[in-house]
Amino acid sequence: MALTIISLIKQVPLPSEMRMGEDGLMDRTKAKSSINMDCQYGLEAGLQLKKMYPDATLMVCSMGPKSFEASLRKALAMGYDEAYLLSDRKLGGSDTFATGMAIATMLKHLGFTHDREDPFIILTGRQTSDGDTAHVPSQVAANLDIPQATFVERIQAEGETHVKAKRIIEGGYQMMRLPMPCVISLTPTGISPRKPSLKAAMKARITQLTTLSVSDIHLTSEKIGIGGSPTIVSKVVEMHSERPPLQLTVGATEREKVHHLIEMYAQETTAVEKKQRKERMTAEAPDYPVIDIRKGYKGILCWAEIADGNITRSSLEILSAARQLATQLDKDTKITSLLIGHQISNKAQTLIAHGADEVVVVDDARLEEYLVLPFASIFTQVIQTRKPEIVLFAATTSGRELAPRIAVHTGSGVTADCTKLEIGEYVNKKEQIIIKPILHSHRPTYGESKLATIIGFAFPQISTARPGTFEIPLADSERKGIIRPFTPVLEKADFRTEIIQTVRGEGGLQHLFEADVIVSGGRGATADNLRLVKELTEAFKKQGVKAEWAASRAVVDEGFAEYARQIGQTGKTVRPKLYIAIGISGAIQHIAGIKEAGKIIAIDQNPKANIFHHADYGIVGKYQDVIPELIEQVGELCKKILSVG
Amino acid sequence: MDQIDSVHSDVLIVGGGPSGLATAIRLADLLKHHKLQRRIVLVDKGNAIGSHILSGAVIKTSVFKQLLPEVDFKDIPFDAKVKRDAVMFMGKTRKIKIPFPVPFMRNKGNYLASLATICRFLAKIAEEKGVEIYSGFSVNEILYENGKVAGAKTIAAGVDAMGNPMENFQAGTAVCADLVVFAEGTRGTLSKELIAAYHLDKNSNEQMYSLGCKELWHIPEGRIQAGTVYNCMGYPLNRHEFGGGFIYGLNDNTLALGLVVGLDYEDPTFDVHHAFQVWKTHPFISALLKGGKLLEYGAKTLPEGGFYAIPQVYTDHALIVGDSAGFLAMPALKGIHLAIESGILAAETAIKALSTNDFSEANLRHYDELLKKSRIYKELYPFRNFRQGFSGGLIAGFVRAAFLLLTKGAGISGRIRPLADSETTKRLKDFKRKTFRQRFEHELDFDKVISFDKVTDVYYSGTRHDEHQVPHLKVNNPQSFAAINIKEYGAPCQYFCPAEVYEIRTDKNGNKELRIHFENCVHCKTCDIKSPGDGISWMLPNGDNGPDYHYM
Repeated sequence: MALTIISLIKQVPLPSEMRMGEDGLMDRTKAKSSINMDCQYGLEAGLQLKKMYPDATLMVCSMGPKSFEASLRKALAMGYDEAYLLSDRKLGGSDTFATGMAIATMLKHLGFTHDREDPFIILTGRQTSDGDTAHVPSQVAANLDIPQATFVERIQAEGETHVKAKRIIEGGYQMMRLPMPCVISLTPTGISPRKPSLKAAMKARITQLTTLSVSDIHLTSEKIGIGGSPTIVSKVVEMHSERPPLQLTVGATEREKVHHLIEMYAQETTAVEKKQRKERMTAEAPDYPVIDIRKGYKGILCWAEIADGNITRSSLEILSAARQLATQLDKDTKITSLLIGHQISNKAQTLIAHGADEVVVVDDARLEEYLVLPFASIFTQVIQTRKPEIVLFAATTSGRELAPRIAVHTGSGVTADCTKLEIGEYVNKKEQIIIKPILHSHRPTYGESKLATIIGFAFPQISTARPGTFEIPLADSERKGIIRPFTPVLEKADFRTEIIQTVRGEGGLQHLFEADVIVSGGRGATADNLRLVKELTEAFKKQGVKAEWAASRAVVDEGFAEYARQIGQTGKTVRPKLYIAIGISGAIQHIAGIKEAGKIIAIDQNPKANIFHHADYGIVGKYQDVIPELIEQVGELCKKILSVG
Repeated sequence: MDQIDSVHSDVLIVGGGPSGLATAIRLADLLKHHKLQRRIVLVDKGNAIGSHILSGAVIKTSVFKQLLPEVDFKDIPFDAKVKRDAVMFMGKTRKIKIPFPVPFMRNKGNYLASLATICRFLAKIAEEKGVEIYSGFSVNEILYENGKVAGAKTIAAGVDAMGNPMENFQAGTAVCADLVVFAEGTRGTLSKELIAAYHLDKNSNEQMYSLGCKELWHIPEGRIQAGTVYNCMGYPLNRHEFGGGFIYGLNDNTLALGLVVGLDYEDPTFDVHHAFQVWKTHPFISALLKGGKLLEYGAKTLPEGGFYAIPQVYTDHALIVGDSAGFLAMPALKGIHLAIESGILAAETAIKALSTNDFSEANLRHYDELLKKSRIYKELYPFRNFRQGFSGGLIAGFVRAAFLLLTKGAGISGRIRPLADSETTKRLKDFKRKTFRQRFEHELDFDKVISFDKVTDVYYSGTRHDEHQVPHLKVNNPQSFAAINIKEYGAPCQYFCPAEVYEIRTDKNGNKELRIHFENCVHCKTCDIKSPGDGISWMLPNGDNGPDYHYM
């Protein structure tokens, strides 16, 4: 057997390039770029696999302009054997759907079809730093009709035909066993990418790269580029280029200060909302005919995700998004929840209580744990029979791989990780029509600095919603709804992937990247060995918020926290909705690591501490006095956090 | 991958600064002229050519015409041409423009430049001529065969702090070469090893160094004319500290400024970075910067021992060029043109060796002969005692400098042999004057608008280091370091390091302990030069690590 290890990579601009540019000194077009960080972990995973399969061929592929050759050569210098670049002007403007299609077509052209005799494995990064969708790995797998595992930290060979993968899930991990061929996407928490070797770099310098055009792989132009993309970016607005000036809390006691903080947190939100509403009002509306392109697609379908036997918090949250959308659509728009699992029928009423009009229940012993292949198949069957206009998922590790996989089957576009969903219209100036109603999915991009509005023209319109963005609708146990069992057609092939073990509980470093609230302690918070920092984190968790604690470099150096919790090392950026800095002086490296946080609260007894220059809210006081008050009023604060989109 | 990671190149050039690139370009031209096919490999540790290059810089450009006869001068990416040139003497709040031109410090006709940008340009030309350039690789080992240089090897990466291979281990590559050209820049790590291994410095003085800290600013329109050069003496330095500041007006409202101070100072608390920041708060300078924005920060050392500090620059299969050899002209503090010139001469020596296939010391002596006839000798010899003359303080230095002019360089006492910079620092108890810390007690609270603390400045150097590797800064003798460097000298490393790599932590019992934050290092090598006692060794970190200078 001759195994082929295929790594898919993307070249992205370096985050450090952001430090120059605005003043016009540096030419932005010459901004340095590198291999996307997650993709580098994919490359390393391939090199690790090669150790177990010494005869394997290592192949690296990318899609993009000619300048991407630099990254392909770097991959060769790390130890890859062959490099392929799909490069064509016609590919410009492709969304994830069209990208997944194009890459899969290239791989098929190179002989990598699901029925290929020799095994192959496709490794990718979890997501790219510029696109941030995490869709392409799933969509390549779906287009090739092969199994997948995303958000994987480590892989290991399992004989000649299988691999074992450790997949990160909310609050833990899963050990999975996959047959080859398959697609695995790697998180940047596994084995660090190796350095290139000079000898390999010398070889890479003279290696002939294979560049393929769209016509080389027999891809017709209507399937790619803007024409082949079911979604478009209709608008991008600056969210806030700079943090507004610091608001210091006032109050005679720590209790009053914390109370004042919570009060201010709410005020700011309404200001933002008002501004957005105003913008919407003033938008021009030309006098074109209004066209409804839904062609019978109607209703909203939501996934009710089960974890550890219970409906997840985030899938209840999307019911409120669904309800908001339903009220903006036709009066008789129904919200349907799809509940898949084993012996979960009793959960259906919970969904109804929270706003579902109908619950479709699939009960099967084989479906006790989430598996992407059968779940995608069930969804596709339900969508094809019920024709909903909108399908919503919580943007969990499962939702973010399931939605794009389904979309390939239904021909839909997907918008990832939305923070706001609303019904609107699309003015097509070229054809002089107004398309209405249509889903406007808003999502932050470019490191949370901009808010993009994505519109999809294929039905159903699919979006995943960022957990914690929407409030759980109030439960009404009296509420009535229909519960409908559904028996899907499932094949043996849908169970090709096997879950060996699911572990929930102590998670790893992953938590820091996914946390909505990060409580971080600096040197000034170590008097009690970070006890209060940890207690505040726990208080957030008890409120159902994804919270994690972290530390500054000084604290890690002192041994109070493990390195994985350090914020502010170059390249490690966190983006929680709320970052609470306790006793942190605010070294610039630390600031760089947190600048993408939604809101920053700084607590320090030194009013001159640099951290206050970079925070939204500041409490000057001893943390030993402030934190217990904060813990006491954490419930109120959580309400405010959740109301900020 | 092959088990034995070894390759062959006819010539290996270690370092992609002006001297290494000039060697490569001229050698490629000569090979073509002689119709010879030979492989030239140039390796640099920066993530790209230029990313570890920092200089003022005012460049004497005539040597570029010599190196690049076919290139239109206008195509070389210099910045503004020097139009105004003045020397200032600064008091704490006032300044006096010295009304007459200071000899040897005239810059009319020279060009301002970002040396990093010039190097990127040279690298492009070298590659077009067939030179193989690889950046992002640290060469940290000289290979020997039968007691002679036989090549060099890149660092093995993917190891833990103790050097044990990890899962992502990547073996180093041994480059076997007939000729190795050491072009590592100031205080080259392998050059130092080479010089020690063959006693190449047996007839030369200790090299003396300066440390320069530099910032690049974007300033509001109209503050300074592009092409303006100010050299500043005086505040905040006193007459025991040799050095001065520079301010260069570049195109596009960009300003380069820095402070360069001789490392033969005695004060154990002296801090060049902090002195630089204090200097910037002088009303004359802060007025230039106000409303502007810091773009980049960096620091590097300069070898300024001059003629007598130059070691033998050739041995079997090896040549040393540029700053690694100490080719820097005092008092003008100019080395770029000499670096290029030495590269040209090294290439002319190399072609002789390649055509005769004789890389012996006897054949490579040709390099020395060419140097003696070159402008390098002409520029360095008259000032052979210049810098050493200032070791006794500025007043003695100026008197001596005057005598140098009269005696054509011999001075009053013939050859002066200075102490190594590491030996000039005084113990705390022996230092009787007010220390730097005491002198500027109230001026070290940086406002982060005009003046910056070290950690903030380091951020603007773009420096980064892989977390997993053997720390590249090594205290040579931890016991004596605690007893001597920390106790007796008060740990000068925490002050002289311009990147806050060294931190002294005091625990609850009052014990003082050194913490090394190697990830902050900007590769200036001051610690390798200035630490008293058994000192600190600056070793090579992983390739692609270190600062990321754009326009320095």
